Amino acid sequence: MFGWLETTAVANWVALSLWAYPALLSLHVVGLAIVIGIFITRDLRLAGIVRGVDPRMFATLAPLAWFGFAVNLISGLLLFTSQATVFATNPPFLIKISCIVAGMALASVIHRRLRRQSVSSWQYMAVLSDERSLRPLALLSLAIWIGAIGAGRLIAYF
Amino acid sequence: MFQSFAASIADSSLNRWIAETYWLWPVLEIIHFIGLSVMLGALLIIDARLLGMLGTWGTAAIKRLTPLVWFGFCINLASGTMFFIGDPMRYSINIGFQLKMLLILIAGINVAVYQLQLRPRLAGWNTDSMPPIARFVAIVSLATWGGVLLLGRLIPYVGTG
Repeated sequence: MFGWLETTAVANWVALSLWAYPALLSLHVVGLAIVIGIFITRDLRLAGIVRGVDPRMFATLAPLAWFGFAVNLISGLLLFTSQATVFATNPPFLIKISCIVAGMALASVIHRRLRRQSVSSWQYMAVLSDERSLRPLALLSLAIWIGAIGAGRLIAYF
Repeated sequence: MFQSFAASIADSSLNRWIAETYWLWPVLEIIHFIGLSVMLGALLIIDARLLGMLGTWGTAAIKRLTPLVWFGFCINLASGTMFFIGDPMRYSINIGFQLKMLLILIAGINVAVYQLQLRPRLAGWNTDSMPPIARFVAIVSLATWGGVLLLGRLIPYVGTG
């Protein structure tokens, strides 16, 4: 399947065009900054490292984060087609994809919890039990996204 | 400007250590990417708020996120300086690197406008209708840092000159 993918017209364009691959890589880092940037800020807030920001603000920011994710899903798929057989057997790439799947699953859990918050709860109860219960999830998410970045950078070295 | 500085640090002991330590370059790259995520994530939220896109969330949140922006910037200033020292002759003549530094300079002037003109007046703007100067600063910030990201990623691919 991956061998076939490499022979498609799209894969040929990404692989052979002088500017397609670098342009997609540039787009990929912009998407990364949007989605991982918002998630890291959210996790630092929920872990209690950043204070004074209403956590529900991150529910408002969720569509922007999904937009960044969509940019990277599309640019990432296009980059993948050009060397599908190489990426599919590259250990850092497989670790990166696992981290992204786990990080997005965790994000859907965290954002569902954020949306559920009533207007009063975050505002008037400083140490809410629900806020505290999000802490381990936030720290796990932080580690997962740092892992995704680390593995992503290492793809070129394996 | 970059070339004479590059020549002065080429073949220094730090230059040789960075160039010859095989694991250091990928580690610096990972640190640089984490730094950009921390910095630009917080900055994106601040800019969205300055554009009035976040509804009525208080502008106090902006001041709380500013230290994250500086923290990420310091990480990347340090790791970026290590890249330059590790391969000064390549970076100094690279057009992508030169334009990236120019954009960071413009972004820095924009930060000065923010610190002098916007920061003192933030508390009075707890609505979603932000004044034009706030929108201007946010747009310049998004445009320059977006350009920094694109150019930074293109450094290995663009010509030198």
